[in-house]
Amino acid sequence: MLRARDQVFALLEAALARSPGEATELVYHENREATTRFAENLIHQNMDSTDARVIVRLVKDGKVAVASTNDLSDAGLAQVLDNAAQIASLLEPDASFPGLADPATATAVRAYFESTANDSPAARADAIRQIVDLAKPQGIQTAGLYQVETQAIAVANSKGVRHWHTETRAELSISASEDATTAQGWSIGAARDRTRLDAAQLGHVAIDKAMRSRNPEAIPAGDYTVILEPAAVGQMLLFLGFLAFSGKSFAQGRGVLSGKIGEKVTGDNITIYDDAFLPEYPGVPFDFEGTPKQKVALIENGIARGVVHDRRSARQAGVASTGHALPPDNARGPYPKNLVMSPGTASLDEMIASTARGILVTHFWYLNYLNPMKAQLTGSTRDGTFLIESGKITKPIRNLRATPAVLEVLSRAEMIGRDRVVYPQYSAVMYVPALKIAAFPFVEDTES
Amino acid sequence: MATPRDIERAGERVANVKAAGLTYADFRAVRLTTEDLSLIDGKPDKIDRKTSFGFGVRVLVDGAWGFAALPGCDEDLARQALDTAIAIARASARLAAAPVQLAPITPVRGEYQTPFAQDPFAVPLPDKVDLMRRLDAALRQTPGITGTETFMSFRREEKWFYSTEGALITQTILHSGGGMSAAAMRSRREVGERSYPTSGGQHESGGYEVITGMNLEAACAQTAQEAVALLDAPVLGEQTATLILSGDLVSLQIHESIGHPLELDRVYGSERNFSGTSFATPEKRGSLRYAAEIVTVLSDPSAPGGLGTFGFDDDGVPAAAKPLIQNGLLVDYLSSRETAARLGTASTGAMRAESWMNLPLVRMTNMNLAPGSGTLAEMIAETDRGVLIATPASWSIDDRRENFQLGGEIAYEITGGKLGAIYKNPVYSGSTVEFWNSCDKIAGPADYRIWGTPNCGKGQPGQNMRTGQGAAPARFRNVKVGQTV
Repeated sequence: MLRARDQVFALLEAALARSPGEATELVYHENREATTRFAENLIHQNMDSTDARVIVRLVKDGKVAVASTNDLSDAGLAQVLDNAAQIASLLEPDASFPGLADPATATAVRAYFESTANDSPAARADAIRQIVDLAKPQGIQTAGLYQVETQAIAVANSKGVRHWHTETRAELSISASEDATTAQGWSIGAARDRTRLDAAQLGHVAIDKAMRSRNPEAIPAGDYTVILEPAAVGQMLLFLGFLAFSGKSFAQGRGVLSGKIGEKVTGDNITIYDDAFLPEYPGVPFDFEGTPKQKVALIENGIARGVVHDRRSARQAGVASTGHALPPDNARGPYPKNLVMSPGTASLDEMIASTARGILVTHFWYLNYLNPMKAQLTGSTRDGTFLIESGKITKPIRNLRATPAVLEVLSRAEMIGRDRVVYPQYSAVMYVPALKIAAFPFVEDTES
Repeated sequence: MATPRDIERAGERVANVKAAGLTYADFRAVRLTTEDLSLIDGKPDKIDRKTSFGFGVRVLVDGAWGFAALPGCDEDLARQALDTAIAIARASARLAAAPVQLAPITPVRGEYQTPFAQDPFAVPLPDKVDLMRRLDAALRQTPGITGTETFMSFRREEKWFYSTEGALITQTILHSGGGMSAAAMRSRREVGERSYPTSGGQHESGGYEVITGMNLEAACAQTAQEAVALLDAPVLGEQTATLILSGDLVSLQIHESIGHPLELDRVYGSERNFSGTSFATPEKRGSLRYAAEIVTVLSDPSAPGGLGTFGFDDDGVPAAAKPLIQNGLLVDYLSSRETAARLGTASTGAMRAESWMNLPLVRMTNMNLAPGSGTLAEMIAETDRGVLIATPASWSIDDRRENFQLGGEIAYEITGGKLGAIYKNPVYSGSTVEFWNSCDKIAGPADYRIWGTPNCGKGQPGQNMRTGQGAAPARFRNVKVGQTV
């Protein structure tokens, strides 16, 4: 169970009152994660972990220091304030510090569901059994994750900011395989309310894909028309979050969109924004500096429109914060955690039917930077890759290494899916459609 | 704040637990203290101290695992975590096969402390910041440098381990690390960047002497000059070449294509849904020619100075050197007591958790490639035509750990045994077994060190493990390098 709001603010008020700083910001973050993992159709890891910590950002004589602790006793909080004050006293004034946020109202969202918070290991085992019962008769082994998370986040500062948010998250992902090479399938679902996850349906998708991907054939590397399922699109967008949409690299002139606002950077049919207020998966309505979160247009009809900012990057860029600060002990800068791509009109079946020769990609594995300045990535396809010929999926193919430059390939999107999927990855969540893209570069068969 | 007596009572509570169907339990408390400092362009970017303390309880009930973790530590919390872990294990047992077996060990009552000369937490913060400022100034002395980053990171982990088998282990593990990078940028697409001692810095077990021993100030001029030179360097074009990798790139290559595929939990499918599986399946042990005969790789958590150096793993197994690849032949895996029992071997002692709140998983310790002979300079001198690629910049490998594409910060052409023109954004790719079998030379002890990887991801929830890879520069034949330009 999470600490109650009143209890948390009593703790934070007491800490603010005793802070030796001229200005103090406190972030409270409590997190309970219950995770059941399964492999070979059996549960092999099962856990429940809770932690709560306070991060202090303290300003004294223009010097700014950060310290954190999970010892929330009176003595523990006194110690972390003292640590921060000591660090501050040893530094030089930080002329670029933009100051703490002023009080402002954040729009509340409904992201907390008792169904998720009260989920039990027994219920998770039952859901996994449903999946296993579908797989076993087909000779398929499943592996996966069923995780529920409950979080409380509070931000308070000495200027009067007081924000509170609670949320739950349920995620079920399933891999299905006959053995390591000859059949692979995968599916994923995420929701704030765990009753919206349908274990049997997700299991069916993964198992069906595995059965259809038996005996994959090699095809030569080269440029192909691809149909990327939503997870594959989401994985590419996640990297744009760092490379293109973060105000820190943008303000430093190193971002992919630095100097390009107002210019065409993708095809006209691409619109991407960050939206914490999406009904399908609401995010935190304020950031870790206490600034209310704004919906931010990043790319609109192919034109670069903006990036997300925290207070520091906003000051550097001469604009206002958009409410996208990460916790103060994170040096990465602001990040869009709720990336949304606007839908098109095509169904996945229509995309396939319109393709003379192409590849259907379920998702990627180990995407990483290849050339950050071009937003070029490298990674391999995974868990169900199929050849499309004359408008039909004709056979499963072996996995290939792809090297897409993300903005370039988004300039060649021929069709956009009408249905979007909530796709979680790390601490971000994307809401994305499938895309049909021409001339997508594949450089190697990964199994040769 | 938990007292030593609170921790002892909580540990004993778990070590003496009795419950229907319970065959094993352990308790692991961890107090973690970290300090991270970084300057960007000479200005503080991150100066941060963290403490975290808590404990986890792992139980085997009805043959299945349960784990619960809570912040703080006392006997009441231990009882609460035990109840949760037992309930979780009973739920696991609803979908379990044969009861989990653990490879037998003699329970240890022992202590371990990382040897160090200078406690990094006792070094005054201004001294550390001053050093980083001096580095920043020295890097900027080279005309054309437009951006710098200097950083340090320190970590002290105190651990207490109790088990129902009678183990009682305390450890204090100390890590120190740091480094720097310089960038020359003319336009957004014209950038040259170099790091020292490697990208992300070098991290070792030990005290502040790790920082002072890096000779950071002496390296500033060359680091900055190469960054500027890379501005106008061409991209390395696609070709098949004799490839020499710097020691830190050999370290990354070991990590990705030997360390990960030899994690036995992964081999058995535990990571199927996330990190993937492995081509190095158990029937290949003793028969797979994984690498050329000159290649011997040990898991060695007892080697001094590595990020994978400790006294005991999180199963309570004492650290010891174990060959995994012996003269090119696959002979063993990184294992835990559970996975070793399944294979019918002894644990190699590789069970590690990122923190008190995480379940231990099979992780790399120090994956040490036995050094060969000679020096990097001699290796270059005896190479008629080839390419030297240095310092990791990009890495990706497929989910079975076969096909990889890695990249460095800089490539040097080798002609007639001499280094020549430099190239930017060099990449190379290959297939694990073919690549390691093409290794025909490994430099000797003079160029060998255990490189630290402080950010190895695995597991769900994700755990960030700190691993070591002992490596010297090495040469590989007929490798696909470069890219279409």
